[in-house]
Amino acid sequence: MKILTVDDSRTMRDMLRMALVKAGFNVVEAVDGEHGLEVLNANGADVIITDINMPKLDGFGFIEAVREDAAYRATPILVLTTESDPAKKDRARKAGATGWIVKPFHPDKLVEAIRRVAA
Amino acid sequence: MDELEQIKVTFFQECDELLADLESGLLAMETGTDDSETVNAVFRAVHSVKGGAGAFGLEPLVRYAHVFETLLDDVRSNKIGTSPDLIRAMLRAADVLADQVTAARTGGTPNKVATAAMVAELEAWIAGDAAMATASAAEATTASAPPADDGMDFDFKPMTVAVEDFTPVAAIATTDDDLGIAFTPMTVEIPDLDAETAPEPEGEQVWLINFRPLASLYSKANETALLMRELERLGPIEPVLDINDLPGLDALEPEGAYLAWTVTLTTDASEELIRDVFEFVSDDCDLTIARAGADLTDVQEMDVHQEPAPEAIDPIAALIAQAKAPPPVEEIASLHSAEANAPVASETLAPIQVSTPSSTPKPAPPRAGGGEPAAAQATIRVDPERIDRLIDLVGELVINQAMLAQRVGEHGFAPSSDIAMGLDELEQLTRGIQDSVMAIRAQQVKSVFQRMPRLVREVAAQTGKAARLIMEGEATEVDKTVIERLSDPITHMLRNAIDHGLESPEERVAAGKPAEGAVRLAALHRGGRIVIEVEDDGRGINRPRVRQIAIDKGLIAADAALTDDEVDNLIFLPGFSTADKVSEVSGRGVGMDVVRRSVQALGGRISIASRPGEGSTFTLSLPLTLAVLDGMVVDVAGHTLVVPLTAIIESLRPKPEDVKALGPQGAVLAVRDAYVPLVDIGSVLGFRSGSIAAPEGVVLLVESEDGGRAGLVADAIHGQRQVVIKSLESNYRQVEGIAAATILGDGRVALILDVDAVVAMRRREAPRPPEPILHAAE
Repeated sequence: MKILTVDDSRTMRDMLRMALVKAGFNVVEAVDGEHGLEVLNANGADVIITDINMPKLDGFGFIEAVREDAAYRATPILVLTTESDPAKKDRARKAGATGWIVKPFHPDKLVEAIRRVAA
Repeated sequence: MDELEQIKVTFFQECDELLADLESGLLAMETGTDDSETVNAVFRAVHSVKGGAGAFGLEPLVRYAHVFETLLDDVRSNKIGTSPDLIRAMLRAADVLADQVTAARTGGTPNKVATAAMVAELEAWIAGDAAMATASAAEATTASAPPADDGMDFDFKPMTVAVEDFTPVAAIATTDDDLGIAFTPMTVEIPDLDAETAPEPEGEQVWLINFRPLASLYSKANETALLMRELERLGPIEPVLDINDLPGLDALEPEGAYLAWTVTLTTDASEELIRDVFEFVSDDCDLTIARAGADLTDVQEMDVHQEPAPEAIDPIAALIAQAKAPPPVEEIASLHSAEANAPVASETLAPIQVSTPSSTPKPAPPRAGGGEPAAAQATIRVDPERIDRLIDLVGELVINQAMLAQRVGEHGFAPSSDIAMGLDELEQLTRGIQDSVMAIRAQQVKSVFQRMPRLVREVAAQTGKAARLIMEGEATEVDKTVIERLSDPITHMLRNAIDHGLESPEERVAAGKPAEGAVRLAALHRGGRIVIEVEDDGRGINRPRVRQIAIDKGLIAADAALTDDEVDNLIFLPGFSTADKVSEVSGRGVGMDVVRRSVQALGGRISIASRPGEGSTFTLSLPLTLAVLDGMVVDVAGHTLVVPLTAIIESLRPKPEDVKALGPQGAVLAVRDAYVPLVDIGSVLGFRSGSIAAPEGVVLLVESEDGGRAGLVADAIHGQRQVVIKSLESNYRQVEGIAAATILGDGRVALILDVDAVVAMRRREAPRPPEPILHAAE
């Protein structure tokens, strides 16, 4: 299964990659929403994990853009964020997020979240 | 280093970049740039520090960053308007954040008083109480004024207030539940749930779960089948599909949701765990969860023998899951033993990890390559050691080429011969390679400059001055070896400019100047050297006073005739201090003389020019690299030495009548209308005992550390040459009087003279017989 991670923080991308590769996933990465769309179009993805606060195109805009593309309407998107702010989570859900992961995450729980949204 | 430790290293590298972004963003806001992208970038920097810190469990850093982030979030959403006071507070908050990061990195203790005071101030801003914030700021300034310290930095003494004393304004977004990834469950509307309030019984329970997805559940790419699979992990399930709401094909909305399930789950898991399964979809479905027997009427009314729907009838799943529709209900039940515990990643493809070079500071944004060629990358990242190695090799090449040229000359080839002309070309190519390689290792002075705004703020706060730093030429490039040595002199010059140069705000206003002083820090290239200028618009040097101090301290004669420039530069003399009383900032026993000495040790020069009442300008110039050096090759008692060209003012062959003996071994030389002491290199370094008679040799007139001149006596001059510097310390050990070594064209090793040290050795050891060089080093 191929997972696209979109996060402007190198630390967070590295953490995600470490956990995901260890769990046997393939990982492709992008550094912001715009880059995320490029990488998605070039590589495709089975699951997308995205940050919210990012330069250029933030997580909300990225999710909306992914959902607008018929090819990715059924691609699960998990929002990765430190916010426990319900308003922010609701916005992500309105944009089309499938689920969410609260940072900091335990690798097992990351895998569990993916399992909940992907076959 | 394990992977997690490596990521932690990455995190701290990223922190440095984020802190730099934070500061430059805040400085941009200070100059009136407060567009949303700038404010967002500032917010993101703090946000990312907090996020990473949370991942590594760096709690104090998370707590502090959270308060700062909360304030920035309010600024970002325009809940709090920006003002100069607020931006100054945030700049100080950024400094405290940098301290927190440093403490987390080194395992040290941040200044808890400063942290607590800053938190109080930030919280006051968040509460919208600017007056209280200002009061907190005053306290913070008092609290953060460090005790006198003779070090170069502003490390604060640890105080005895626990960091736990402060409470963040809002709960911190860290996981306090054992799931780690789980949000606090959302409020879910649950009708008819009398059993909810019953005490939780022990052991296995039978639960009835009514689940009716809304269309929005599918539009977010959630899938019923996956939820069933998750439920099954808790215990055996019996799902029953309800298709009562399914309309005829003519009325069927392709993206509507018509199906519902009633699931009987037998599990010892708590209701909370069951609810967790529906966490992502709780707003997108009608859900009731009740223990069996609590309220079975609804269930009994349902047609429990309803045929399972063929998957094609489930329009949403068919459409959006692209033929990955939920399996029929019975299949879901069969997942129990077969697949429920199977790993998610059933595909066995090798992971395509986007590799990150472990030792480079910042991996390029990975552009995972699909079929299309990746966009051309603007930069490549290379391990610095590889470049150092390349520079060493090019150095060898330069030496080798020089040796070859010398051999060819010795064998009598005419300069017009093919071989000699080929060698000329080789020499040009070699120079070209050397220049290019040096350019690779060149770095922007930005890395040094970006630490300075904070220094200026801190020094200004301590001295009660108001100062604004203007930086220019941050993109000026200079070799890495020089970059590393720029920080200390710049720090000193800036401190001096603020502490001694700028007047207090009151004095400035009285003199008709803006209350806030301007300090300009600029870098530029000039004449193959890097020039750093530190300019202030303060009072300038008080020349009569400087002159009087120099006379009082016996540094100059009372009737010395000095130009204004010479008077200004008296401040570089050892032991000179213009401060009336020892101040916290400058009176640390480290004066400008030390700065000058360290600058000269690098082949650099430092000077000051002053305009009374208008300000002063420090000018520092350094060679662009410490890898090569222009030197004068001389012969001393059969040894070949290289004297750095920057130290030499002129070379001359003295007339016998100009040399005057002074004591048993000393002598002075009359150079025009002044006398300079003669220093015989050979006897100082222990190559020979006793001095040669100066008239037989050549005298190199040099300027030494205190600005005083001396004449170095050598036997003969061979010529001027660019040499590759080889560190003596890393190849042998430090030897007094010798700065480094090099290899000459003929393959001989030549020592590079440390002019200041030789002059100082002579002065110190003049009465004693010369000692062997290796003893002199100890």
